[in-house]
Amino acid sequence: MAYPAQVEALVQKGWLWQGQELPAHKAEQQFLSSGWAELDARLGGGWLQGSVNELQVQQPFIGELALLLPLLAKPQTTALWVNPPVQPYAPGLSYQHLELHQQVVVQEPDEKLALWAAEQALQSNAIDAVLLWHASLSATAVRRLQQAAEAQQKLAFVITPWQQQEEARAYVTRLQLERADSLSIRILKRRFGWPLPAFPCGVDSRLPRRRRAL
Amino acid sequence: MNAWLYLHFPHLLLDYQLALQPPELSAVPRALTQNHAARRSVVQANSAALQQGVEVGMAEVLASTLVPELKLHDYDAKRESTMLTQLAQVLYQDMAQIVLYPPQGLLFEVQSLLRLHQGFAGVVTRMQARLQQWPLRYVLSSGYSPLSAKLLAASGYAVLSDETADVKAAINKLPIEYSGLPPAQIEKLRDVGLLTLGAVLQLPRAELGARFGRAITTYVAELAGELLPPQHFYHPPDRFDQQVELNTEVHSWTQLLFPLKRLLQQVESFLEIHQWSTRALVIRAHHRSGPATQVPIQFAHAVWQQRDLLSLSQLHLERQKLKQPVLALSVRVQRPEPRQAQEQAMFAAPQAQTDSLNALVSRLQARLGESKVQSLHVHDDWRPEYQGGLKPWQAKPTTTTLSLQRPYWLLPEAQPIERQQWQLQWGPERIVSGWWNADTVTRDYYIALDKWQRQGWIYQNDKGWFLHGWFS
Repeated sequence: MAYPAQVEALVQKGWLWQGQELPAHKAEQQFLSSGWAELDARLGGGWLQGSVNELQVQQPFIGELALLLPLLAKPQTTALWVNPPVQPYAPGLSYQHLELHQQVVVQEPDEKLALWAAEQALQSNAIDAVLLWHASLSATAVRRLQQAAEAQQKLAFVITPWQQQEEARAYVTRLQLERADSLSIRILKRRFGWPLPAFPCGVDSRLPRRRRAL
Repeated sequence: MNAWLYLHFPHLLLDYQLALQPPELSAVPRALTQNHAARRSVVQANSAALQQGVEVGMAEVLASTLVPELKLHDYDAKRESTMLTQLAQVLYQDMAQIVLYPPQGLLFEVQSLLRLHQGFAGVVTRMQARLQQWPLRYVLSSGYSPLSAKLLAASGYAVLSDETADVKAAINKLPIEYSGLPPAQIEKLRDVGLLTLGAVLQLPRAELGARFGRAITTYVAELAGELLPPQHFYHPPDRFDQQVELNTEVHSWTQLLFPLKRLLQQVESFLEIHQWSTRALVIRAHHRSGPATQVPIQFAHAVWQQRDLLSLSQLHLERQKLKQPVLALSVRVQRPEPRQAQEQAMFAAPQAQTDSLNALVSRLQARLGESKVQSLHVHDDWRPEYQGGLKPWQAKPTTTTLSLQRPYWLLPEAQPIERQQWQLQWGPERIVSGWWNADTVTRDYYIALDKWQRQGWIYQNDKGWFLHGWFS
């Protein structure tokens, strides 16, 4: 395809590039399947190893944990839960085949210490995923977490309410979760692609069966 | 064949005290003084003081006139002997047979270690490497008998050699003042012109005995190694509770870091000797008055190396405040346990991961407090609030998988709800339990949707409707 001369110059300098499905230099194995085909397809294969991902939820408990359950229920996954909104309930999680002894829960009201704990976990090779509940993380905090996650190739998820203003953050992916009849996900930011409009995600298979309203 | 080594620390008390402080403080000239025949004289001095002309044996007045900024402290033989015992414990990692010669000497039997350390030179290198960790001035000498080694080390005419002839030559040249004999005896020997030990040893023993008394024949026999006085070999204690006195009052934990490092180094050698590890320490800071500040330190996994002990203790201490200045610091090891052998080959990977998870949990607990790092537990109880819970972290795996649908989240307390707001989906499941104690539960549980289409776990009892958990 031929571009106008000015645009061609920008492409040559590397300041402008074409949106594409998957850049060639990113190999498949760098993605960890999220367990949801519809989400994997849009994220280029799943969660990117070494990334901090933001899950913005319209209200808490709309299905954000169910979205992460396939990842957490893998037998080798060890996870640190930082400041979950209420108590994670062992019998229910055990029913979903989570290894209870591989879940570490930290309750720390002091924000600085909570972030320190998350960073420590990302730096340790014992933890595979960090779940962090937080109202609104500062840009610096996100950048630090992203650096730690990238250095050790770990996954981190920040669960937070819908953010009103779209301030730039160093998250690799930013998802907005909303529930009508089923859970729908809007992709606000992703690596290697444009934002995508809301699409339904079948996380309800990880939840008790719903009866259709009569 | 020289079977004995003697280690003499001429400035043990002072060096040891300085070892507990940051190295820059050693640049200040310091000396220890003691009352000696109605005058106070210097018994130990650091290298800064020696360079400026202070000498051991010099009167205190003279020394402080010579070097006005000289810092003087009292010499205390009892404390010096305690330190010697602590050093014996450190050296016990390399040497099997140690005899304490308080306050400043240690005697080692090397014969039994020659094969282990590949010969005499190996033993000496090993010991010197160990001593390198401590900034202590020492004199090491070999000897064919305990007494010969001791005399050479204490006099400073040290000989490090495997050959008996070398030691013999040095002993022969040793001035009679360093013979360790009683002063009156030395006087007598000098009076007849016997100025070196060699001159004494040349004389026939019977003659010596007749002229100078039985004591000297025993001395000569002991020096030759023909007579071995009984030696009390050192046995390491099986408890560790040691204290170090600080030279100055200290106001913050950061200043205590240096003495703490040394103490933990001793803890490591204590644990190493016994092949133990520990999960708990108590660090105490002693004040001028009032009870000591105690900091109990727990580790989620068993540790024994100084760097692990130190980094975890540091995290604990960051949360502590010192109310009063500190004069002394002590560390006690609690519940030492035998080290667990770790399988090396086939299934090494999962083991390594658990260990490192425990290490992470230790770090988190140290900084945040133990109660804030929790693990999930399942119990045999039908009452939902007892069936699952969070407890301070324990590494024991729970393996039960439950066959009942339960929510993933449980509210700390059930919230009263308006029944009209909720759309019932599934239920009821009746739970009646706990009649044996005050916390009786009689509830009908349902899964229901709220107006946001979220799935809640709600129940009805005689008091009304309540939300108890979430499926999310």
